[in-house]
Amino acid sequence: MQSSPTPTPAPFAFPREYFFPPFFTRQTNLTTHHAQLVKWASLVLSYCRHHRIFKLSLSGQSPTTTTTTTTASTTTPTTNLLDATTPSSTTSDELFHNRKLNRKLSLADVREVIDFLRKDGRAEYVGGGSSGKDSGDVAWVYWRTPEEWAALIEAWVDETGQKGTVLTLYELTQGDATRGAEFHGLDPELLQKALGTLVKRQKAQIFGHEDSQGVKFF
Amino acid sequence: MAVRKIDLTTALRPSYLPDEDLLFVQDNVGLKYKLPNQQNGQVYLTSHRICYVDKAEPRRQSVALDLKDVERYEFYAGFLKSSAKITLIPKATKRSSLHSSIPSRSANGTPPQSQRTDSPFRAPPVEQPSASTATWVCTICSFSNPLPSNFDPATATAHTPLPPCLACGIKPTLAHVLKAAISNVSRRQTAGPPLQTPRPIQPGFSSQLSVQASGPTSSSRDPSPQDSDPDASFQCPRCTFLNHPSLLSCEICGAPLISHDLPAGLTQQSRRETESPGPFLNPSLSGASSKGVETPENVKLSFRGGGEKIFYERLKGSMTQRKWLLQGAPPIPKSSRYGDPLADNGSGTGKGVGAGAPAERVKIAGIAGLEHRGEAMRKNNELVIGSAFEDLEALMASAREVVALAEKFARQVKGAAGSNASENALLAESASQLGLITTKDIVGSGSGDSLYLSELSRTLAEFLTDDSRGVLKRAGGIISLVDLWAKFNRARGGVELVSPADFEKAANLWEKLELPVRLRTFKSGVMVVQGRDRTDEHTIKALLAWLRDLHEIPPDGELAWDWREFGRGVTARDVAERFGWSIGVAEEELEMAEERGVLCREEGIEGLTFWENLIDTGEGKGYRDPAKEAEDRMVKMLRESGFL
Repeated sequence: MQSSPTPTPAPFAFPREYFFPPFFTRQTNLTTHHAQLVKWASLVLSYCRHHRIFKLSLSGQSPTTTTTTTTASTTTPTTNLLDATTPSSTTSDELFHNRKLNRKLSLADVREVIDFLRKDGRAEYVGGGSSGKDSGDVAWVYWRTPEEWAALIEAWVDETGQKGTVLTLYELTQGDATRGAEFHGLDPELLQKALGTLVKRQKAQIFGHEDSQGVKFF
Repeated sequence: MAVRKIDLTTALRPSYLPDEDLLFVQDNVGLKYKLPNQQNGQVYLTSHRICYVDKAEPRRQSVALDLKDVERYEFYAGFLKSSAKITLIPKATKRSSLHSSIPSRSANGTPPQSQRTDSPFRAPPVEQPSASTATWVCTICSFSNPLPSNFDPATATAHTPLPPCLACGIKPTLAHVLKAAISNVSRRQTAGPPLQTPRPIQPGFSSQLSVQASGPTSSSRDPSPQDSDPDASFQCPRCTFLNHPSLLSCEICGAPLISHDLPAGLTQQSRRETESPGPFLNPSLSGASSKGVETPENVKLSFRGGGEKIFYERLKGSMTQRKWLLQGAPPIPKSSRYGDPLADNGSGTGKGVGAGAPAERVKIAGIAGLEHRGEAMRKNNELVIGSAFEDLEALMASAREVVALAEKFARQVKGAAGSNASENALLAESASQLGLITTKDIVGSGSGDSLYLSELSRTLAEFLTDDSRGVLKRAGGIISLVDLWAKFNRARGGVELVSPADFEKAANLWEKLELPVRLRTFKSGVMVVQGRDRTDEHTIKALLAWLRDLHEIPPDGELAWDWREFGRGVTARDVAERFGWSIGVAEEELEMAEERGVLCREEGIEGLTFWENLIDTGEGKGYRDPAKEAEDRMVKMLRESGFL
């Protein structure tokens, strides 16, 4: 597949706009506003990708993350990732808050960005709320959509000749075998979603219980 | 040619002469004069001219007719479908070679010397001094100069302006000219008695008489005019040189010669010049002029939209007043009891009494003299004001003096209080323009409000674009309508104030009338006035240029961002300061630029600032897949390092 999914230790390179003060103010001109949304959206995506953030907390100062550290063995799959074990301090809230400029994107504007991403299927509120108002302030950021993840997994299974065998979900994301694959360290919930699309296409079957699920690829 | 092209102001109105007063305006008037396409326009009657401004092609088709060239005018009330007309019959034009040798009498202007004697305040002299023959010989170069036509030996004083010698330019002494004039008069009295009956000239004036009338020596020179004698030489009436008959002026001394076959109309014409152009003239002029004089064409004004009656009345009035004779003249002493009001700022108390009674002048010296002078001036002011305000007509007539007084008072007030100088200056300067403003009274009533509004609109445009005033320029090229309204009404000095409704309507007409200013309504409903050439693009360009300049200029304090790359945000206040706009205008302009996507905003704790739009840089309307982007980057890096 690709090169190592390990996040490079280099800090995220923010785009030029990030240092432009008006970027943090909602633009009234529709065209400018759209351009602003586009830029924010791509910033959010690339930022999350850089730091391998799958779930983003909007209001909370620290986005919840599952980070793939190089020694990810200790991480246990938990459904509630808000209690995530290793909150990466480097990514706390610098995305929407430029401390150097002392400029911050307001929550309403953040929601707008997420809504913008949602229209493209690149984000989703955790809990499935349709509008940003009543749903929680945690959102999935699909820098790869579940379909894309599914395709990656499928390709990996195909490559390694494991069709027909049963793999546990833990194996898929945390196992040694998948080390080096991009979906290594994937959020279990997201993995469920990804596998769900495969199941729909009759390409896989999930069985087992909550904490010990297995998947079989056809 | 009596009818000629005129200059128009920026607002497509005729530009007025220094002392010209607008009397009447009427639209929808056709002009019947040679050209076929002057059929719809506005006619401006001023104290000096009748101006026609074409509606379709104002710059090309507009003409004016000097009232002083109008021989007489006729009124035709209109019948059935034909609209009312006023026919203006111009004076016959003369052969140029003839009148060019009589410089003081040239047809195209009132000679400066004629102002005194021809002023309406003085009865025209009964005896017409024949200027064509009266001469004075220059003591320097011995050139025979013609005597000024209006030179009256009876009234001439040391202050009478004398023209310099035509050949060498040396001014003669008064005594010298006086002597020449007197000798000339005495000569003429003995030689040409028919001259003593100057007018009215009857239609059937025979050509023989006119030849006699043409010069004092005519009787002795050639008693029987023979039209068909080609060999007859022509004796100069002045130097007795025998000239060729076809010559119009003497070869030796330049004196005008009167040809044998000179038509009657011509000699009549030369005499009529100094007389009143009033409406009493003979109707058979065209018949007389058919021989040698170019027939002037009548000018017909066809009033399709009414208003002809008022026009006619005002025309009659201005023809009687003959204001053009006063052009540039100092205020005229009305009568001896008024004294000399303002002309010399009171240089002599007895001066205005006139040359006729110099003996009355009492010489008072020292402080008593000063006091006396002040007293006289006060009395005089009192008289002027008193008589001016007697009734409206009198006020109109003495408007100039009253304005002059008002200005003087204003100066005194200013000097005493030392108050807001610029405001006062504006006021004083505007008061002098009092005669040129459009009032409801001036415009024709036939077409209702629309003409008034369009005239007001033009006046406004002139007011705005007037360079000396610089209303628009001082406001940075843009001024809010309310400010303009206040300024305009203040400039009118409290007379004929314009209502806000009319004002707005007039402002809305700018676009339609294609005037150089335009009204613009911002998003918020604020209405501003600006030059037509000042488009949004210009404004944006200026704003952007300034913002880009800020990339170069280091800021005062330390900034958190890279000012070299992003520049600085500007507030509406900064912009207002930079461009001289009012803050409201600056806000609107900034928002306009933002609306166009040139600027973007930033709301922070410091307030609302505007920046060059670096957000919408136009690259790609949709964001790119970050994965693909990373791949691209990788490929690029690999390619750079030579792996691919």
